[in-house]
Amino acid sequence: MSRAALMATLALLVVLLATASLLWDPVALLALYRRSPDVARLILVELRLPRALLAVAIGASLGLTGAAMQGLLRNPLASPDVLGPSTGAALGAVMMAYYAGIGGTLALAAGGIGGAMVALTLLLLLSRGGASTATLVLAGVAISALGGALTNLALSLAPSPFALYDVMFWLLGSLADRSLIHVAVALPAILIGCALVLSSASGLDALALGEDVAHSLGVDVPVLRRRIVIGTALAVGAGVAVAGSIGFIGLVVPHLVRPRVGGRPGAALLPSAFAGAALLLAADLLARLPLAGHELKLGVVTALVGAPFFLWLIVRQRESLAP
Amino acid sequence: MGQLRPVLLAALLASAMMPAALKATPMRVVSLNLCTDELALLLAAPGQLASVSFLGADANETPLAARAKGLRTNNGRLDSVIALAPDLVLTGGATNSYANELAARLHVRVIDVPQPQTLDALYANIRTVAAALGRAPQGKALVAHVAAALGPVPVRQTSALLLGGGGYTAGAQGLAAAMLRHAGLTQMDVPAGQVSLERLLSNPPQVIVKTAYRTAQSSIGQGWLQHPALRALPASTRTISTDGRGWTCMGPLVADEIARLRAQLQ
Repeated sequence: MSRAALMATLALLVVLLATASLLWDPVALLALYRRSPDVARLILVELRLPRALLAVAIGASLGLTGAAMQGLLRNPLASPDVLGPSTGAALGAVMMAYYAGIGGTLALAAGGIGGAMVALTLLLLLSRGGASTATLVLAGVAISALGGALTNLALSLAPSPFALYDVMFWLLGSLADRSLIHVAVALPAILIGCALVLSSASGLDALALGEDVAHSLGVDVPVLRRRIVIGTALAVGAGVAVAGSIGFIGLVVPHLVRPRVGGRPGAALLPSAFAGAALLLAADLLARLPLAGHELKLGVVTALVGAPFFLWLIVRQRESLAP
Repeated sequence: MGQLRPVLLAALLASAMMPAALKATPMRVVSLNLCTDELALLLAAPGQLASVSFLGADANETPLAARAKGLRTNNGRLDSVIALAPDLVLTGGATNSYANELAARLHVRVIDVPQPQTLDALYANIRTVAAALGRAPQGKALVAHVAAALGPVPVRQTSALLLGGGGYTAGAQGLAAAMLRHAGLTQMDVPAGQVSLERLLSNPPQVIVKTAYRTAQSSIGQGWLQHPALRALPASTRTISTDGRGWTCMGPLVADEIARLRAQLQ
């Protein structure tokens, strides 16, 4: 399958899944429309639309930033949820919400972006001077663990058990009952972040040949690095602030896409965004199945589906697991 | 522990030698749980309480916090109050199971007060704590007050939803629902105690009882209550508010709220 055909297929999948998300439970929706068309319209515009839009935007940003991080660090384990930006974003948002004394989506997003930025900068500082792949992954895992521990510390120092409850459920990840206000806050940051990351596609392809070759091809590697860090922090930070932590999409998607684009990390960026959007839409549909009489948390679903899938992928690609 | 052991030993001997009815009235009572704090603050004589949990002294959590002024607060664990040499410890069921075990090993008298699931269980809890405090008449009076405030269950019932931040609500079978029926409100059946905006809008109750629990504190849950879609609630749905603090424990304080709600609805 050519790259264009792959993207067309994935785009079609995104459109189909987004339609399913909007028209979820069509029988009940139609019955409601017959009874009170205004309420049905409002549910569609104020609840279903933001939900589908956020699933597309956040899924795409996770797939895209995962692919970019794997390309930049030349490591198949790199992704926002493994190497720190997601936990950094969660910590930043929690600090903002409960210790700076301001709630609200905008403040959470600012905290999330700041936290993700700090985590990524720390990772890149550690990766300078030619740190080995293993060192880098271990450093990322440590940063991630530190972020998680600091979040838990902030929570255990929280003034009321109520705050703990509030944050714990948010961190499990969900797109339920979000509004167009959430979209208005998160979407600009996600779009700018994704554009920054996408603009580094050709640089990543060159970098895959080695830093020296990239340099001789006219790629300014530090600038490339900075662009991806800022872009990832913007996209992931805003996403985490609105939907909580959603794991595995950024890790799994690039592995699905890369073999189909000739293993070029730059060429994998855009298809990874489409695949991430499709995967998160599908996971959100799964979360809405009335399995427990109520909705499952989205982060739980992506981990439950993503972890076994990732294991299968590792076993299958044991020989050729290179970014 | 060195100075403590004789005290504990004496208490143990005293309780072993005396018949139950003649047991000395406890004078250093410690409560380890918000729900037992409320019962103790309502029933104890002045000077009888030595410590309540930090939640029992927090005005965000209970209207009785003012009565806890000057009392030592504890963190819900027995080791934080054992130095006070308590002669009675009140624990709140499963949340204090370690405290229960530890108290038994130290031979400290413990009354465990489980979360009530029915009105009768609530009355039994009030009587148990009152008896342990040597305040049986006060217990009897409190039970009578709760029963009077609740009044009879009205025949005419309207569908209702107790609603807190994030869509959290109460079960349709629990004590909250049983109490609401005394106000003429039948709690809607919502799975898992949380309602989604979509469900609330497509199937709205006649009355929303909005709790004012921690509304002053900005939170994700409070943000949920500000969702723009909620303006689509039909005019036929009436929203009334309640002091949300008592509902955490479903204790005697809720009865007065029920009386207020009933008066407001009439």
